[in-house]
Amino acid sequence: MQLLIELLRSTIMAATPVLLAALGGTYTFYSNIFNIAMEGMMLIGAFMAVLGSYLFGSWVIGLLFGLAGGILAALIFIIFAVYLKTDEFVTGIAINMLALGGTTYLLRQIFDVKGAFMSPEIVAIPTWKIPLLHDIPVLGKLISGYPFIVYVALLAALLVQFHVYKTRFGLRIRATGEDARTVDSVGVNSSSVKSISIFYSGILCGLAGVFLSLGYVNLFAENMSNGRGWIALAVIILIQGRPLGILLMSLVFGFFEGLGLTLQGTAIPSQFTQMVPYLATLVALYFYSREKQTGVEVEEVEAV
Amino acid sequence: MKKQIITAFIGIIVAFLAGFIIMALQGYNPAASYYQLFSYSLFSRFALFTTLNKAAPLILTGLSAAIGFASGAVNLGQVGQFLIGAMGVTAVGLWVDLPAPVMIPLLIAVALSAGAFYAGIAAFLRVKFNMDEFITTLMLNFLAGFFTLYLISGPMIDEKMYSPMTPMINRGGWFPQFGGLNFAFFLAVAALAVIYFIWNYTKIGYEWKVMGRNALFAKVGGCDNQKNYVRVMLVSGALAGLAGAIMVLGGMQHRFVKGIDANYGWDGVMIAIVANNGVIGTGLYALFFAMLQTGAMGMELETSVPSEFVLVLQAITVLFVVASRESAHLLFNRISVLLRLRKVRSQERVSKGDDSDAAFD
Repeated sequence: MQLLIELLRSTIMAATPVLLAALGGTYTFYSNIFNIAMEGMMLIGAFMAVLGSYLFGSWVIGLLFGLAGGILAALIFIIFAVYLKTDEFVTGIAINMLALGGTTYLLRQIFDVKGAFMSPEIVAIPTWKIPLLHDIPVLGKLISGYPFIVYVALLAALLVQFHVYKTRFGLRIRATGEDARTVDSVGVNSSSVKSISIFYSGILCGLAGVFLSLGYVNLFAENMSNGRGWIALAVIILIQGRPLGILLMSLVFGFFEGLGLTLQGTAIPSQFTQMVPYLATLVALYFYSREKQTGVEVEEVEAV
Repeated sequence: MKKQIITAFIGIIVAFLAGFIIMALQGYNPAASYYQLFSYSLFSRFALFTTLNKAAPLILTGLSAAIGFASGAVNLGQVGQFLIGAMGVTAVGLWVDLPAPVMIPLLIAVALSAGAFYAGIAAFLRVKFNMDEFITTLMLNFLAGFFTLYLISGPMIDEKMYSPMTPMINRGGWFPQFGGLNFAFFLAVAALAVIYFIWNYTKIGYEWKVMGRNALFAKVGGCDNQKNYVRVMLVSGALAGLAGAIMVLGGMQHRFVKGIDANYGWDGVMIAIVANNGVIGTGLYALFFAMLQTGAMGMELETSVPSEFVLVLQAITVLFVVASRESAHLLFNRISVLLRLRKVRSQERVSKGDDSDAAFD
């Protein structure tokens, strides 16, 4: 029982960054922007969060810094991809590399360390004990006492669902994704709709980064996003953007990552347990592609 | 071609200026740092040879990405293919002991097939189950990373060492040096020449190129896209595998150490992108990146700018070069449209015999 609760808790913890990043990617998915910069946005967010929290001794500043980091990456994406018409794939790769190089550089430049920066002065995101529920034996353990961003992420899934499907702006995003020129022709600036969707995705990925470095663990390590941005992208492609589906799928991936962590105490070498989430992505993609393929001729190879 | 050179220079200069400002803002001496960057990578025979040696894996991973992208196969698995190639030659190099003239070709063959095998998994998944290679290759990167880490920290570990690495491979597999220039560089240049030849002078290269431009056209024209796709993936993987192998055979250590992949895989992707997937361009940008990475060490030594700074410089170079290429393209288009418009207008006027408003044009 204890083990099961632990597994479920680590599922939820591991699902949160993937969920947040994937929700961010939802906006760009619907506005038809090939956003592969989520990995980098997350990494910048994670670094900035540790920086802010460490320098000012406050998680609030850390949070703000992290969000600002995500926004900064989004702005670079907007300037190059939307306004300078640079290829989105290229921009995304460059931002990821900029994030990896930039955070590694600043890690040495500011903290004078290589690899990882840990300090008791990094203030973590506070956990939230839900007032009444917390004292119920099993249920309280299951749903209470997470860093509050976990609850924010759950709420965000609902909000994004509402925003994309039920508001005027959501309609504009989807319309831009369908056909940007038509949107322009009715007097809505599709470039600014695209920019705003990238902006939202930067904020959510930044938040995912904050959770990684101030909630999931309490440190910053080189390349600590470790493929979560890619997994988030895979989740979006698998679910075709539906925010509530993304919530479910993220939990599935969280479960596998949690399972990997739980198995770490056993005889299986840790390198194999760490493979689990990436293998799970491949398996999920297999089922998705097989389903999509039925009755359809094998799709032609597409150019970048 | 001329346009491409001009925009490349504009992009590189803007990127260096951006780097200049970043360094200045952080209180370093940018001019001195840049001088050291060049001095430690170009201005002596040793420096130049170090740069060329460094360029070898970059040329190969760059080619791997370029040939994939240009043919429409989004192989982002250079990291994984690099690791599997390196692991393949390490394993064979540890158990087989032959004289160098036999051993080196054998190991090169192992490297090529190991990389091709790993890329082949992604190609198989694409052809058989229609799984997007762009995600499968990424996931395979992580699997290769964990798997090789397991091997070097468990079954294949050198117990005398303090960090995960294998023992040294047998002497016969070590690449020769020619006055400081490693055989790896010649191998990389040879690979570049072979790819250049295939790409420009053979039927199959032409088919790949057409597939990359327009897959449907290639199909209608009678090419077997599926077969060509698999071939491209195998060649692309083989090149990345070879890149990994030369880090073992031509490296300092002659073994598989943790972190052997550095950032070669992604550097290759960036090089291909910034070279617009051209073969010669890939070679040139690989040299440029190698120069930056080599010079960075000297820069750190002399002006204490952390060498990681070049990672930033590389990424902004990619952004600015590509951005200036694409915006220049738009600009040229606009100019040529304007010129043509003007010509059409003046012709209209000539035919009407009316030139009263010519002064306003």
